[in-house]
Amino acid sequence: MIELFDVTKRFGSETAVDGISLRVERGEFCALVGTSGCGKSTTLRMINRLIEHSAGEIHLDGQPVRNFDEQTLRRRIGYVIQSTGLFPHWTVARNIGLVPRLLKWPRARIQARVEELMTLLGLPMESFADKYPHQLSGGQAQRVGVARALAADPEILLMDEPFGALDPITRDALQEELRDLQSRLHKTIVFVTHDMDEALRLADRLVVMDAGRIVQQGVPLDLVREPADAFVASLLGGDDRGFKEAALTRVGARMLPLSPRLIARARVHREASLRQALAVMFREHADRLTVVDDEDMPVGELSLRRLVGARPHE
Amino acid sequence: MRREVLRPNRVLPLLMLVALAAWLGLEAVSVAPNRIVPGSGFRAHEVVGWTGALAGCLPLLAVAALAWRPTTGRLRLVLALAVLLLMAMPAWLGLAVTRLVDPAQPQARLGLGGAFWVLLFLLLLALIELRARLRLPRLAGWGLLVPVLLAWWLALASWLEPLALLQEYRGRSDQFAAAVGYHLGLVGAAVGASLVIGVALALLMRRHAGLQKAGFGVLNFLQTIPSLALFGLLLAPLAWLAANVGWLAALGVRGIGWAPAFLALVGYSLLPMVRNTFVALEGVDPAVIESARGMGMSPRQVFLQVRLPLALPVMLEGLRITTVQAIGLTAVAALIGAGGLGGFIFQGLGQAAMDLVLLGALPILVMALVADALLGALTERLHPGGTR
Repeated sequence: MIELFDVTKRFGSETAVDGISLRVERGEFCALVGTSGCGKSTTLRMINRLIEHSAGEIHLDGQPVRNFDEQTLRRRIGYVIQSTGLFPHWTVARNIGLVPRLLKWPRARIQARVEELMTLLGLPMESFADKYPHQLSGGQAQRVGVARALAADPEILLMDEPFGALDPITRDALQEELRDLQSRLHKTIVFVTHDMDEALRLADRLVVMDAGRIVQQGVPLDLVREPADAFVASLLGGDDRGFKEAALTRVGARMLPLSPRLIARARVHREASLRQALAVMFREHADRLTVVDDEDMPVGELSLRRLVGARPHE
Repeated sequence: MRREVLRPNRVLPLLMLVALAAWLGLEAVSVAPNRIVPGSGFRAHEVVGWTGALAGCLPLLAVAALAWRPTTGRLRLVLALAVLLLMAMPAWLGLAVTRLVDPAQPQARLGLGGAFWVLLFLLLLALIELRARLRLPRLAGWGLLVPVLLAWWLALASWLEPLALLQEYRGRSDQFAAAVGYHLGLVGAAVGASLVIGVALALLMRRHAGLQKAGFGVLNFLQTIPSLALFGLLLAPLAWLAANVGWLAALGVRGIGWAPAFLALVGYSLLPMVRNTFVALEGVDPAVIESARGMGMSPRQVFLQVRLPLALPVMLEGLRITTVQAIGLTAVAALIGAGGLGGFIFQGLGQAAMDLVLLGALPILVMALVADALLGALTERLHPGGTR
């Protein structure tokens, strides 16, 4: 659990972070979102004390971070940055084993852990262990970066725009993998990004920052439905905000039981989002879809009126 | 098998055409009855006749022709030809000795002419070009020179007695060995000292930003003083120190000799050393340093395991520049009585004995090339997996 109490950071006369309070529960995926220079990266780096906060308190499981020795603290916290920061003179395996080595694990245990992580992140040992970072693609390098951060099995993971430099397809794949990983590992993650779609897709909780302050925080759906001000609304896509909301809701949550009417030809999976369902309607020129399960068996139906949540009296 | 290269190589044919012109047009050797009388020159055809001279053109033409439509196989053949030519050169000199030098005149000597030097130079260039084209590793490139050096050594030891260079050496073999040792010792000491001082200075400058400007200012200024002037400037204070500080004088410090040479060499070596060390350490990707700290490495671990190893290739580059520069400068230091191989050069210039100059200059050249190659190879080694 990470707690920030009224934390401020000043660089000379500039105030980068201005009295923010935040609580990230154990196992929660929290995304800090905002434009460049809003203080989100600074906030992240104050947690592992790469930057010392000027005022306020930061607690880790109830203990002020200043009570820890800097190095001990950082070895307990995984850290992933946009440019990966892999050591170019070390092989992939050695890069991943960095923190366990700093923690003086026995050699065999490090070896086993590196192997485990490389398998977990889809980097076959025999083809990647002895490669150098410059021989990897952007996506592979960032996988190694994530593996390195996870090496000593830290409770907490700090990620600073980890997928910001990747092409859209690789970024998509890595986001999916991270979601998968998180559903298995349940780390406490603080994730900095300026990409709202990425944040909506990954986070349990969104924290929107502007000019060093927290403007709004909450569950993604709440923010999309009720942005606190024009800034949050514009960050959420302005007029496109409706699509983001649609993307956050599953078809299963809106569908009705199958009616005795003729079954609709166009189909959509129960786990698909409303946004995907809308796209199917648009493509098939249909205002009614049949909802199916994994076995492609009809389990319900979804009308356009129902999809957009039109009220009955209209 | 590698894919065959089809682009015509223009470098080798050009080199060979120049070699051909030199071979036929310039004097290959000169013969003098003794050390004082200037020798008379002979072109290749005046030594072995037109048939022999034209026969000598054939391998050069073959190299040019094979290289024009190069395939990996042909380039290998060209490489073998070039090495064989280099090995054949001392044998040809032996032939010239038997034809031109009268055995009744023990003082008679054979000098190497323009054609010979040009040919030697161009063939070495061809080797470099071929090594690059065939992508041979650095070590293999040097390995090629082994048979060539063996052939020359064998020839010098057995049938090239009247070679002027060899005669100059014969007269001074003890001095020569001492001079080489002294030269290397002075360079080693100066480069070693500047390495220690230079790295320390660079580290200090990194810690105290205020020192940077002043430090580089002084070092830049030092670098602009001409070497002879610097030797002169050091003369007076060192002479005074030697006269007034007993233990310095006992160490052999004088206004002239090794002391001013050593100080000047260290002074000149500092700038490249400090600049490269400083730039190398500062130039490490900040993201890498950031992640090293973020992973929980201590400042000491960050420096020793990340910053220093990543900076090392550029630092070694500084060491290479420094070493090569010091090898050359030490020759000039002979003028203030520092000894070394420069002594032969200035002695030879004074006596108008070019072969004596060569006796000093050639080993300096070889030393510089070897130092350059060794440190270059070491730098290459330190780049993980080739490039960064």
